Amino acid sequence: METPGIFWGVISWMIVWAVLGSIITRRSYLKRDLDTSNATFVGAMMGAAAGPVGLVPLWMRTPELTKLLIVLPAIGAVTLIAAAFAFADPSNNCVSNGSFVASQITNGIIIGIIYGFMALGLTLIFSILGVVSFAHGEFYMVGGMLVYYITVVWFPGVSPLIGVLGSCSIAFLVGAVFERMFLTPMYKGKIDRPVEYGILVTFGLAFTIQYFVQALAGANPVKARRFFDFPRLRLPSADDAWLLKTSRGNLTLFDTISISNPRFVAAVVCILVLLSLLYFLHRTWTGKALRAVSLDREAAAIAGINPDRMNMLAFALGGMIAALAGSLLVQAFSWLPQVGNIPAMRSFVIVVLGGLGSLPGAFFGGIIVGLVEAAGTGCIPNPQKAASYIPAYGMVVLTLTLLLRPTGLFGRRFASGTHGKF
Amino acid sequence: MRRQVPYYAGLALIAFLALFPFVYSANDYDYIMHIFIIAFFYAILASSWSMLAGYAGQFSFGHMGFMGIGAYTTALFCHYFYLSPQATNVCTEFQFGDTWLVIVNPIGVTSTTLTQDCLSQALAVWGGAYEVTPMPVWLGIVLGTIMGGVFGLLIGLLVLRLRAAYLALFTLGFAEILRATISAEINITRGQAGIELPKLFQDGITVFGRTFSSTDKIPPYFAMLALLLLCLAILTWLAKSKFGLFVRALREDQDAAAALGVNTTRYKVLVFVITTMMAASAGAVQAHYIGIITPNNLFLLQMSLVVAMAVIGGVENFVAAAIGAIIIEFVLEMLRNSFDIGGITVDMTIWRLVIFGIILMLTLRFTRNGLITPVIEYFTRGHVGGETVAHRAQPADESEAAK
Amino acid sequence: MIKLVVKDLHKKFGGLHVLKGVNFEINGPELIGLIGPNGAGKTTLTNILDGAIKPNSGTVYLNDTRIDQLEPYQVALAGLGRTFQVTRSFRRMTVLENLYVPALAMGRPDSKPAIHDKAMSVLEFLTMDHLRNEFAQALSGGQQKLLELGRLLMLDPDIVILDEPFAGVHPRLMDIIHEYIRRVNDEGKAIIIISHQMDSIFSLSQRLLVLNYGDLIADGEPEVVKHDPAVIEAYLGSDEDEEEPEPATETQS
Repeated sequence: METPGIFWGVISWMIVWAVLGSIITRRSYLKRDLDTSNATFVGAMMGAAAGPVGLVPLWMRTPELTKLLIVLPAIGAVTLIAAAFAFADPSNNCVSNGSFVASQITNGIIIGIIYGFMALGLTLIFSILGVVSFAHGEFYMVGGMLVYYITVVWFPGVSPLIGVLGSCSIAFLVGAVFERMFLTPMYKGKIDRPVEYGILVTFGLAFTIQYFVQALAGANPVKARRFFDFPRLRLPSADDAWLLKTSRGNLTLFDTISISNPRFVAAVVCILVLLSLLYFLHRTWTGKALRAVSLDREAAAIAGINPDRMNMLAFALGGMIAALAGSLLVQAFSWLPQVGNIPAMRSFVIVVLGGLGSLPGAFFGGIIVGLVEAAGTGCIPNPQKAASYIPAYGMVVLTLTLLLRPTGLFGRRFASGTHGKF
Repeated sequence: MRRQVPYYAGLALIAFLALFPFVYSANDYDYIMHIFIIAFFYAILASSWSMLAGYAGQFSFGHMGFMGIGAYTTALFCHYFYLSPQATNVCTEFQFGDTWLVIVNPIGVTSTTLTQDCLSQALAVWGGAYEVTPMPVWLGIVLGTIMGGVFGLLIGLLVLRLRAAYLALFTLGFAEILRATISAEINITRGQAGIELPKLFQDGITVFGRTFSSTDKIPPYFAMLALLLLCLAILTWLAKSKFGLFVRALREDQDAAAALGVNTTRYKVLVFVITTMMAASAGAVQAHYIGIITPNNLFLLQMSLVVAMAVIGGVENFVAAAIGAIIIEFVLEMLRNSFDIGGITVDMTIWRLVIFGIILMLTLRFTRNGLITPVIEYFTRGHVGGETVAHRAQPADESEAAK
Repeated sequence: MIKLVVKDLHKKFGGLHVLKGVNFEINGPELIGLIGPNGAGKTTLTNILDGAIKPNSGTVYLNDTRIDQLEPYQVALAGLGRTFQVTRSFRRMTVLENLYVPALAMGRPDSKPAIHDKAMSVLEFLTMDHLRNEFAQALSGGQQKLLELGRLLMLDPDIVILDEPFAGVHPRLMDIIHEYIRRVNDEGKAIIIISHQMDSIFSLSQRLLVLNYGDLIADGEPEVVKHDPAVIEAYLGSDEDEEEPEPATETQS
C-alpha cells in the first residue's frame, strides 16, 4: 500500500462515527418510542458513510427506517471504504486491473452460492431443532472424504454421481442415528439447558468424527479428480471467441472472467438441489410439516405431525446438505480431516448474517460472505497475509452483525420450543 | 463424618502432589513431571472455564484465545523490551535516569533479518562494552494476566446482550480473529514459526540451598501447581461468597435475579474478567515453561480439549473440572502407545482422541454432571434425601404437597 | 411511611397504546387488588413499576425516589419486589440458596448466621424447612410459588407486587399464601395482588384498582368497585375481550 495513512485515517474516522451513530441513533429512536430493530445498523452505516452530516439530521428527525434508508447508507459505507482503498493504493491489482476485479466478483458469487448452500443445512437444523450444530463442518469433510474413497479407493472408476449419492446417503444416516441417540432427550425435558447441551454434544460429535476419519484415512491430503470435463465450446465463433471459451478444466467469459470447472459444476448442482429443496419444503406434505414444526412445535404436534420424526429428518437433511457441499468441492480442493473447520465457521457466519433459521437469508448471506472473502484475498497487498486472514474475514462480518443487527438480514422470532431461549 | 471426606481427600491429593517430585525416581521422571505440569495447565483452564460456563452459564468458546493473549503478551514483552545502560541510538528508546528502555523494531522471519534487529546492531557497535538486561519474566506474566483481563472486560461488555448460541459463536469468532491475526502478522509474531520465550527460571534458581538449572522440572512444577492452587482458592472463595450465588442465579434466570436486586451486568462482566485473567496467566506461565508459543496453541482443538475435560470432570464444579483435566491429560498420555492387532498397527495417538470424543458424548448424554461431580456430591449432598424424607414423614399433610 | 406515586404513565408498543395515562397513589401498608380483563395492561404496568421496561412518559416515585428510569435491580434495592406470572425459581440452586440471593443482594451487613436464621424462619413459615437443601427443580409447582414468595420476604421490600399468586396452587398451599399476604401486610408493607381469582381478591384486598385497555376505570373499596357500572361493563359487557391477547411484554429479548 502506498499511502496507508490515508486508508487507515479514513477507516478510523468511519469507525468513530459508526460507533457514535450506532449508540446515539438507537437512543434517540428509543426515546421517541420508534422501532429500534434497525436503528443501530442504520446509525452505524450512516455514521460510517456520511459522518456528522448524515447523523445529525437522522437524530433530529428520526425518520421511519424504510428499506431505502437501510440500504443506501450501507452501500455508501462500502463505497467509501472502496474509494479510500483505491485512493491509498492506486497500483493495487484489485484497483487497477478491471478484469481481475470482474473475475474476483464472479468467483466470489459462485463460491458464495456453495457457502450459502452449506449454511442452508445449518439453518434448517436450527429452525427445526433449535440447535446450532457444531458438527456441520465435519459432515462437509466426511462428504468429500467419502466421495474420494468411493470413486478412487474402494471402487476405482465408478461414476462420480454414485460417489456423491453414496456419500450423501451415508451422511444422512449418520445424522439420523446421531439425532436419535443424542438429541432426542432434549425434547423430553430431561435436559436442563437444552441449547448448551446441543452445542456441547454436537461439539463432541465433531471431535469424534474428525479424529475417527483421521485415524482411518491418515493426515495426508487427498484429492478426487474432476467429475467431468467441459465440452469444447467457442462462442460466438471459433476464431473470435470473445463471449465464451471453454477448455476441459476451465471456462472463460468475455475473455476476462475465468471460472474453474469444479466450482462451476458445484455451483450449478447447488442451485439445482436448492430448487428441489424449495420444492420439497413448499410443495410436499413432509416439507410442509417440517416448516410447520419450525413455526410452532406444539401446534404442529396437535395437527398430527410427529415432531420427533421431523427433528430426525431435519438433522439428517442438514448433515446431508453439508456433505453434498463437501462432496462437490472435493474435486476443487485437497482434502484433509481438518478441512471442515473453516467452512463450519463460515456457515456460522452466514447463518447469523442471514438470520438464524432463515433459508433465503442463508443463501444471500453466503453470497455476501463469498464476496467479502474474494475482496479480502484479492485486495490485501501481501498475498501470504491475505491467505492467513481468510478465517478472519467472515468473523469480522459475524462480529459486526451481532453488534449491529443480531437478528441478521432476515431474522425472525421463534415461537416455541427451545428457540425462544436465545 | 461423611461430608468431610472430600475435604480430606483434597488435602491428601495436595500433599501427594507436593511430595511427588521428591519421592518419585523412575527413569521417566522428566516425562512424568512434564505431564504433570501440562496437566496443571489444563486444570487451570478447565476450572476457570467451568466457572464461566458451568456457574455463570456463559458458554464462551474463546477461552483459548484469552490463554493466547496472556502467552503472546509476555512473549512479545520479553522479546521486544530491554533495559540498557547506554542509548543505542538506533532503536526506539526512552530514558529513565541512567537506564534506557529499548524497544526492538519488529523483524521478519527470513534468515538474514533474524539476527539483524536494531539491538544486535547496537551490541555489535559496542563490542561488549555494555550489556542489556532482558525484562523479568514475572513482569511479563503479570502484564499478560492484566491484558487477558482487559480483553475479558471488552468481550464481556460486548456479549452482554447475547445469549447461548450467539455467545458461543461470538467468542469463537473472537478466538479465530485472534489466531488469524497472530498467524498473519509475521513481522511481529513470527506467524506459524512461533515466538520464543525465555525459560521460566532462565538463570536457574536456588531454593533451600538446592540449585536448580533452567531445564529442571521441579521449579516449573511448583510454579504451575502454585498457580493452580491459587486459582482454585480464588474460585472457591468466589463460589462460597455472594459472587458465586449471584452468577448461578444469573445463569438460572437473569430477570428474576435482577428483580431480586442482583446487578446482573456487573456480575456477568466480572465473571468474564476473572476467568479470562486466570486463563491468561496460565497461558503466560505455560508459554515460559515450554519456551515457545505458536498460533496452533489457539486452535479450536485445544478449546475442545478444555471443554471436554471440564464436561467429563463436571462442568458445574470447578474442582471436579480440575481433577478431570489432570486425570484426562494422564490418560491421554498413557494411551499414546500404538499396538498391533494381527498385523494392523493401531495408531493410538489418533484413536485415543476418538475414544475421548465418544466418552465426551456419552458423559453429556447420560451423566449431566460429569463423572467426578457425582462422587463429590455423594459425600456432600448424601444427607439431603434422608433429611427430606425424615421431615416429610412427620407432618402428614405435607406428603401430597411435596411432589 | 411507604409512598408510591404513579403519575400519568403512558406506554406504547408500536401502534398499541397499552397504558393511557395511569395515575394512582399508595400511602401506607395498603392491600390492593389490581384486576382487569386480559390485555388490560396489568403486566405492562407491573413491568414498568419493576423497571423491566421504561414508560414513554410519566413518572413513578417510591418514597420520593424516582424509579421509572432505574434498572430492575436498582428498583428492587429501592424497595419494590415482585413475583412473576410464570414461576421463576433458580431451579438448580438449593432452596436455601434461593433465599440467600436477595438477602445478599441487599448488601446489608448481616452476618451469614443471621441470614441463615432468617431464611430458616421464612422456610418454617412456608412449611418447607425440610426441603431446605433440595434443588428448587425438585419442588412441586406450588412449592416453587411459595419459594418465590419466600425470596420476597428475604428481600424485605416496602411494596410487594404478586402477579397471579393463586394460579395453579393446591388449596392447602392457598391457605399458606393467604396467611403470607396477611403477615406481610401486618409487617407494614403495601401489597399489590394481580389475579383473576375474584373470590380471593375480593376477600383479601382493602382497595381495588381496575384496569381496562390501559385506563384505570375504577379505584376504591371492593364493595363499591364491584357495583361500578364501568367495571361491570368491562367484565361482562363484551365477549371479545377474552380474545384480545396480552401484549408481548414478557418476551425474552
